[in-house]
Amino acid sequence: MKTGECRWSRGRRTRRVRPTLLRRGFGGQARVVALCAALFCVVALCAAEMVRVPAGEYRPLLKEAGEPGSVAVAAFEIDERPVTNGEFLEFVRENPKWRRSRVSSLFADTGYLAHWADDLDLGERAPAEAPVVRVSWFAARAYAAWKGKRLPTTAEWERVAAVGFTTENGATEREYRAFVLGWFSKPTPEPLPAAGVARANLLGVRDMAGLVWEWVSDFNTALVSGESRGNTDQDRNLFCGAGAVSARDLENYPAFMRAGFRSSLRANYVVPNLGFRCAR
Amino acid sequence: MKTNYIRAVALAAMMVVGGAEMRAGACCAVAPKAEVALSERSIYQVEAEFTNDAGERVTLAALRGRPVVLAMFFANCTYACPLLVSDMARLRAALPEGLREDVQLVLVSFDAERDTPEALKAYRERVGLDAQWTLLHGDAESVQELAMVLGVKYKREASGEYAHSNLLTVLDREGEVVKRVEGLQQPVAAAARALTIAAK
Repeated sequence: MKTGECRWSRGRRTRRVRPTLLRRGFGGQARVVALCAALFCVVALCAAEMVRVPAGEYRPLLKEAGEPGSVAVAAFEIDERPVTNGEFLEFVRENPKWRRSRVSSLFADTGYLAHWADDLDLGERAPAEAPVVRVSWFAARAYAAWKGKRLPTTAEWERVAAVGFTTENGATEREYRAFVLGWFSKPTPEPLPAAGVARANLLGVRDMAGLVWEWVSDFNTALVSGESRGNTDQDRNLFCGAGAVSARDLENYPAFMRAGFRSSLRANYVVPNLGFRCAR
Repeated sequence: MKTNYIRAVALAAMMVVGGAEMRAGACCAVAPKAEVALSERSIYQVEAEFTNDAGERVTLAALRGRPVVLAMFFANCTYACPLLVSDMARLRAALPEGLREDVQLVLVSFDAERDTPEALKAYRERVGLDAQWTLLHGDAESVQELAMVLGVKYKREASGEYAHSNLLTVLDREGEVVKRVEGLQQPVAAAARALTIAAK
């Protein structure tokens, strides 16, 4: 457990608010100030902690002529868990242009935050501690910038996702593979469960699988080959069988799924099980 | 007495304002129009800044008011991009007279590192692009944002070259997409028609 970790979201230990202050019956104004301070503390303590990821490498799924087998990934920090509804609510509260009723359709498709009860009301379908979904790439990027962070790149995200529960290479761990593959076989529950509760990987990062898909900053590089001379959209030759031909690891089903999913996205799309986390 | 004083002050104020308008060359009979807000579909909502090959900082909104044909490219590209540029010239040639001279042809580079404004200026001279062409350089974030808005996929390869979608985007005077031409050396008649209708 790391410093500053939010115990509420884990459910492992409950912080007790000292009841004496509440019983003293201080004036209304003081009570409001105290409640605001308490709320601030809760938000601050529950803010996603970042995990330091040491330098490593990412092995892209698709191999291309002249491309190296792996890509070096410099050390970076990544949120321990996906951004939650509660955190995103703070963002839209302070940035009205990203509220559901005001967002431009250029930056977010219809359906943006559609599971929220209202602009500033999460409602029953969007618990505060659950990962925020139905957000576009533009909105996710704006949130990250507001927090002084950014979205992780594909290489960074995949670097972390490749790590298992107990080793650097999750693909060789039976338990980890079963966990990841098991997620694909289940429909997305609604409401989504809380973020940051599932077992952490070796780095201490949670929910890289098993909860939601996640935006990456450069998702539009998925399935782009070195061949720019085709007479039609490049994607045509890269789906299904043609895509598998150039794959490095034919058994890496989750990587296929992610690459295929990313290639199907547009930056203003919103999806009921697509969220994000930030990096720095 | 008080009423007369108020009238005199109001008259003086009108004269001052009128004089200011006259000095600015504005018509005193018609109030200047407030700028109309961009529509939700206009790509000119993108706030990223670019630099043209004359070294001027601009946003895409600077293109507002005239129809646009836009493509993303990089100057060192030796195969696909020259064809894209040639396709844009072909599309311009297919437009009716009047519109042909009005359309703006815009190239935005993927290559934030090498395609500096100076490099783009050299490219303009080398390829012989006239004043109707606008060449834009942006930092990596700005280029990424524009690509995302347009739905362009691209990737920098280890060689330093870029793999990318081949896409011409046709915009009306307000920056709304009216046609996309995917691929190289495609027929341009439909795009010319769409642009003609949109420009009316």
